[in-house]
Amino acid sequence: MSGSLISVQGVTMRFGGLTAVKDVSLDVARGSITAVIGPNGAGKTTLFNAITGVYEPTEGQVLVSGRDPQRQFSGRVIGGVIAAGVGTALFVAVTVRVETLWQAAIIDLYQFQQPFPWLKSVGVFLAALFGGGLWGTWIPLFLGAVLGAAGRFVIWSRTRRTPDVVAGAGVARTFQNIRLFPELSLVENVVVGMDRRLATGFAAAVFALPSALRERASARADALELLEFVGLADKAEDAAGNLPYGHQRRLEIARALASRPEVILLDEPAAGMNPTETVDLMRLIRAIRERGTTVVLIEHHMRVVMGISDRIHVLQYGEKIAEGTPTEIKSDPKCIEAYLGKEELG
Amino acid sequence: MSRTGTSGARFSPMTRGQLAVLGLLALTPLLDLVFPSLQLSGPMRTVIVYAILALGLNIVVGWTGLLNLGIAAFMAIGAYAFAILTSEVYPFQVGFWWGIVLAGVIGALAGWLLGAPTLRLRGDYLAIVTLGFGEIVQDGLKNLPAITKGTEGINPLPEPMLPLVEVSGETPARWFFIYLAVLALVVFLCRNLEFSRMGRQWFAVREDELAARCMAIEPDKAKLKAFAAGAALAALSGALYASHLSSTGEPSNYDFQISILALCIVIVGGIASITGVLVGAIVVVGFSNVLLPVVTQAMQRAGLSSTGNVLASPDNYKYLIFGLALVLMMRYRPDGIVHARKAVRK
Repeated sequence: MSGSLISVQGVTMRFGGLTAVKDVSLDVARGSITAVIGPNGAGKTTLFNAITGVYEPTEGQVLVSGRDPQRQFSGRVIGGVIAAGVGTALFVAVTVRVETLWQAAIIDLYQFQQPFPWLKSVGVFLAALFGGGLWGTWIPLFLGAVLGAAGRFVIWSRTRRTPDVVAGAGVARTFQNIRLFPELSLVENVVVGMDRRLATGFAAAVFALPSALRERASARADALELLEFVGLADKAEDAAGNLPYGHQRRLEIARALASRPEVILLDEPAAGMNPTETVDLMRLIRAIRERGTTVVLIEHHMRVVMGISDRIHVLQYGEKIAEGTPTEIKSDPKCIEAYLGKEELG
Repeated sequence: MSRTGTSGARFSPMTRGQLAVLGLLALTPLLDLVFPSLQLSGPMRTVIVYAILALGLNIVVGWTGLLNLGIAAFMAIGAYAFAILTSEVYPFQVGFWWGIVLAGVIGALAGWLLGAPTLRLRGDYLAIVTLGFGEIVQDGLKNLPAITKGTEGINPLPEPMLPLVEVSGETPARWFFIYLAVLALVVFLCRNLEFSRMGRQWFAVREDELAARCMAIEPDKAKLKAFAAGAALAALSGALYASHLSSTGEPSNYDFQISILALCIVIVGGIASITGVLVGAIVVVGFSNVLLPVVTQAMQRAGLSSTGNVLASPDNYKYLIFGLALVLMMRYRPDGIVHARKAVRK
């Protein structure tokens, strides 16, 4: 489907001999609430990890808004590889003969309290640097260039589809075993989630330039608004680690929403919640959709799943066994079998 | 509930604690007026030098959660860069202020060069790399006598001078105040970083690298910046150290013990807290470099100790007291004198 926001195409995840997810395809329509359900160990969280770049799918691919979110092979990559190659080459060539070069370019030319011939020094330095013959100059240059360029290239190729790249493409998530930043306050947790929208660079940060302070103030205001949205505004300055469990889940949702994602992936948001909290959560998830954010969730609470989902995908033993609206899934014999077991006949 | 927060939502350039510690330090020359025989301004400058070193280490260890066991190597790089750039032995002679600035820049570059290929290593492995780097730098300096003068050290080096104004007859008090001003500037910059997007990224990476990654933060880049910033401060402290000694001293002045001393300052004072690190430097370095010599002198004058009697010289108890204090600290106040790690970042 071309209109889908997330398109999982034939994803297989193998860990050694174990196939956790086997040839799963599913599409998430923009603006929908989609649920992924299945018994424990069915591969739901593994699928989430494959979507968000925590794992690299063994086979298949995941498209977000029709394209594969990964670092593109661009001019910047080529530039980086060349810069690393040249830089390392010069570094190695200078290092292996640093004393000779120093002697020629500085010590031999310097007379106490006489003006120093800078231009001549540079000339002498370059002549000495490139006049070292095969072993003094060219082999170090060559080895350095290969080492630097190859190293830079390998790093690029192995970090093409890391979670930060996928998150940068507008996919936010929460975790099954809550992963907040426990020693930061609630506001700061949310502001971290906002990071991809912030522009403050190192220089602005270190000198506390007005632009940095302004951005910080507006980011905190936005964060407070989000905390209001999930109902935690009164605890904004507490440490996240001190929150009760249910609140931690809601804070995680606020943090994920902070980046203004296209889609938010919720991994068992209702786990450990009591019935009232669960009802609140359902209201919250609907409100998230109202804001224009697509929702994908993994959930075991059937009341939540059946109550809010537009579309449900069922996994069992890593394979997708059914897909449909809540009504269809409720009456699907394969799903009933997966959850309740098969009825023994006569 | 929130424990002792360091600052509210509004940015302030320094906390009351930081101002108080800096103010206390500023009283040192007054003590010299009251007790002229003590001459504290000189030794107290080493307290400032180590405070800057430990603030640099705190960025890496306390804020970003990377164990760096080779911070002394960057101090050495800073000291030698300052010496080469300012000494009359070489043609550069850029003067004190350009010397310390350029030393910091060179330190940052060195940190970046070391960090770029190695920061993807995790935990202990990175610690081993930094440990090895510390040894390599020392050996390198020892074995390049044409540049570093080997074990003689490069000397003499310029004393700190006030910019723009020519004042004859420099006094230890004036030098002390120049050092203190540099420290105040470093505290200000560190605090800016702590409360900026940069600091927030570092904290997030420290608390949960994967979660930070899923918030579109690139941990590798954040770590590299932390490493370079820490190295820059360490190099700055090295430059101030060399200026204080008026010599680089020998390369083994910057050995593993200095790295551990810096780590002790951070841990004893209060990891991740600027105020804590300042207090730690005063307590640890103040004890070994200021208090012990004063006590020793006093005892010698009173005839209580002599060089002949090993047991009667307080200097020989230095490491005994040190070790005991560390054990007691770990038992009764594992978060350091200033409980900052647990303080909520607001």
